[in-house]
Amino acid sequence: MTQRGLERLKRAMWTLSLSVLAIPFVFPFLWMVSSGFKSATEIFGQPTLIPRVWRWTNFVEVFQYQPFAQQYFNSLYIACLVTVITLVLSSLAGYALARMRFAGAGLLMLFLVSALMVPEEVTIIPNFFLMRWLGLMDTHGPLVLLPVFGPHGVMATFLMRQYFVALPKELEEAGKMDGLSRIGIWWRIALPMSRPALAAVAIITFLFSWNLFLEPLVFVSSLEKFTLPLALSNFTDAYGLPLWHLQLAATSLAVVPILIVYLIAQRQIIESFAMSGVKG
Amino acid sequence: MRAAKTRLTVSLLALCLASGPALAENLRFTVWTGNEAHLKMLNGIAEGFEAAHEGTQVTFETIPAGDYVQKLTFQLAGGNPPDLGWMFEDSMPAFVAAKAVEPLTDVLENTEGYDLADFSEPAMGLWKKDDEIYGVPFSTSPFMIFYNKDMFDAAGLEDPLTLAEKGEWNMTKFREVAKALTRSGERVWGFEFKDGQGYDTRIMHAVMPPIRAYGGDAWANGACGFDQPEAVEAIKTLHGMVFEDKSIVPPGEQGDYFSGSSAMTINQISRASKMPEAGFAWGVAPLPSGPAGEAPVIGQAGLVVFAKSDQKELAKEFVAWMTNKENVAVMAQFFPPARASVLDSDAFTDANSLIPAEQMKNVAAAIKNGKVLPSHQRAPQILAAQKPKFDALWRADADVEASIQAICAAIKPQL
Amino acid sequence: MARAGRAPWLTLQRREAIEAWLFVSPTLIGFLIFFLGPLIAVVFYSVSEWNLLSGEQVFVGMANYHDALRENPDFWHVIRNSVIFAIGLVPLNMALALTLALALSRPFRGVVFFRTVFFAPVVTSAVAWAIVWKFLLQGEGGTVNALLGYVGIDGPNWLREPDWAMAAVIVTRVIKMVGLNMILYIAALQAIPRDYEEAARLEGASGWQIFRMVTWPLLAPATLIIMVITTIGSFKVFDHIYLMTGGGPENGTLVLAYYIYEQAFEFFNVGYASALAMIMFVIVLALTIVQLILRQKGAA
Repeated sequence: MTQRGLERLKRAMWTLSLSVLAIPFVFPFLWMVSSGFKSATEIFGQPTLIPRVWRWTNFVEVFQYQPFAQQYFNSLYIACLVTVITLVLSSLAGYALARMRFAGAGLLMLFLVSALMVPEEVTIIPNFFLMRWLGLMDTHGPLVLLPVFGPHGVMATFLMRQYFVALPKELEEAGKMDGLSRIGIWWRIALPMSRPALAAVAIITFLFSWNLFLEPLVFVSSLEKFTLPLALSNFTDAYGLPLWHLQLAATSLAVVPILIVYLIAQRQIIESFAMSGVKG
Repeated sequence: MRAAKTRLTVSLLALCLASGPALAENLRFTVWTGNEAHLKMLNGIAEGFEAAHEGTQVTFETIPAGDYVQKLTFQLAGGNPPDLGWMFEDSMPAFVAAKAVEPLTDVLENTEGYDLADFSEPAMGLWKKDDEIYGVPFSTSPFMIFYNKDMFDAAGLEDPLTLAEKGEWNMTKFREVAKALTRSGERVWGFEFKDGQGYDTRIMHAVMPPIRAYGGDAWANGACGFDQPEAVEAIKTLHGMVFEDKSIVPPGEQGDYFSGSSAMTINQISRASKMPEAGFAWGVAPLPSGPAGEAPVIGQAGLVVFAKSDQKELAKEFVAWMTNKENVAVMAQFFPPARASVLDSDAFTDANSLIPAEQMKNVAAAIKNGKVLPSHQRAPQILAAQKPKFDALWRADADVEASIQAICAAIKPQL
Repeated sequence: MARAGRAPWLTLQRREAIEAWLFVSPTLIGFLIFFLGPLIAVVFYSVSEWNLLSGEQVFVGMANYHDALRENPDFWHVIRNSVIFAIGLVPLNMALALTLALALSRPFRGVVFFRTVFFAPVVTSAVAWAIVWKFLLQGEGGTVNALLGYVGIDGPNWLREPDWAMAAVIVTRVIKMVGLNMILYIAALQAIPRDYEEAARLEGASGWQIFRMVTWPLLAPATLIIMVITTIGSFKVFDHIYLMTGGGPENGTLVLAYYIYEQAFEFFNVGYASALAMIMFVIVLALTIVQLILRQKGAA
């Protein structure tokens, strides 16, 4: 009896301390959403979690001060594009590295993986001139090309390779017997079997692109071409004054949908990151 | 049959000729305002130019003020140069030194009815180098005190405008009323630096007015002026107001004047457009005078043509068009002019729908007697070098004089 | 017979190699153009003086490196900040991640809830996170200080004092990223066979002893990988600092990644910034090699 009581007390203590620890993880979200409904004055007044006056108009004004809908769409379509291209390229290259025998495969692997150590700050300056030469300044081109071919793309390739290596070969052998070409085997057999890895790459890549900040900051200059992170950091009025309440309303609009998707698919998303981390 | 063919050829040719000019000129013009009223006015001015130059179209492109110079430089260096644009006063010398902007003297002198001499000499100073004009100021806006009349009335104090009329509006009085209006604990302060950014991006706008009022300067003529006795006195006064009186919104706080948490602030009159939504009675007064008398401080912005533009001549003509007497008068509703003829006219004092003509007279006077902010070819580097030292100054326990010495030590290599 | 049988086998192999190269070529070509090429270009940029605004480019040899290492006092200040940032961030992040993982690696009521909560900031954009914390950490009016006030603590003006600003940046970054390391540790913990622990328990070992003697040594490979990732990551941090402190106050949070950006894209000193980028590359490379050597030693 006392033994069980002690166990229960211990568990309650654990839960309590975890809950306290969770405060700084949860509070910023609650505060952000609640402040999105407040006036600028109230945000800086006595802190309350429930707004005294609910200003729904903040969420309308967000769209008036910047082409926010356009910026939202930019982020969305760029992230989708990057995700699709990364999926195709990384699974192709990953498959070749895992399954096909060719001279230099090991070296190529080492070569690619070394990219994971290089911060993008190192290559951003020459890339600036490269993009200028390609005529891609102030377009979305760099925001697609750099994530796809930079360290992130390499990480995706590596992740796919690790997954393919661990797959059983029998089905592919059978496919070969049936006369499928290499590309056929990749498309009909290998890809359907690697759904978890593809999902992981898709999730991580989407979020990576969605949250990208340095590249848009450097490569994009017109307001209607901004992506969300850039737009959020730029909520100022005509004179460059920060519009606090609108900034927080816009931040809520940018974060909450992602958060909802995360809450729905949290297991899948967390596993995706676990996969990428352990293997990359 | 043959005749029909000929006719077709001729009419096709005619069509080509007619459409030739229409294909051509599109001038890209970068600005940092996204304000609809501003853009409407600018487009109105452009329409007149387009009517006179058939086939020309001017497009205004907004780049947010905070990133303006950076994004503009990216466009210039990135092979996507705009033809012309607005330019901040403190960025101008660097652009001139890098030969990134075009000389305009020829066009301005030879445009009929332009009357270049109408621009006052001090107003042009920043935009010239070696007798060549590289930019034309479109906004010559003095810093003024905005005050919350309701708060002064509630405290039973005379407001700054009244004090100024009586000739009693000086730094001592300013400090006194700021302190009297502060209600610590209730998050109400007597004074807020420009847009609450006096400790960050607007250090110069925070310290220059009092420094000038005390008779000092910042870094004119290649020497550091912060450590001169006048400037030291001015900075000590501000420091005392922030940390002893606690009457100025301190670093890391928001005491937004426009939402009623500061009784006074310093700003340019363009910011009056924010006042209608503020919901309190307000007014605009001159800066408080100091031991050196009245010392209005002016902030400027100009128009430039970029050297990388492939339609420089047309762009230069547009600058001349935009800054002729007529259009300067049009722009005066938002941007105080540098043209003496417009400044002297009733049109200017009546132009502002928000500020009464009485108060606008003070604005006009400040433009005439004011001095522009210090500028330098290496201004970005100087500002970056002094920023960390100013951070150290704006602390309650700071040794003000030592901090000022540190500021000078930091910026001397850049001067 | 032998000859006839050998020829097609060779062709097959060659064919497979060609196919394989075709499979990897899109990735490889893109990688060469957008990654390796730029990496090599930085070396050349770094020996020139190059102003973005005027476009003038002059060969100056090692002057940029000399300037950084010998002349410019900012550089060593920046290195010092970067090291402090890493030293503050890595152990805190890893200790917290391991603690959370140990608490959340076994099923109990609410385990999914807690995992979800601690991981949520990872999927949030760094921009949003920095914006919100910047508000929360304001001096007198900030919510953090208001909350601290309820328990009688007079909080500092977080982002206005260099040391506190550095601490604030580190802690908010840890909160943002710790979830990632937490799940890596959870995965590693779950890979440890339960028998080991059971055996130790049967021998009468306490919880702490089991962790010390069994779990911790078995976690060593995971710990090393996490350490490498986290350390490199700490040198890459840019957006967080750009938005929260802008490198201030008093340059107290000016770290290398931000310094490179500032020099290249605010002062337009392309050459000097490229030299800085090279230095950053060497530092990260050195760190990785050191950690890999440690790993080899650990394995041996």
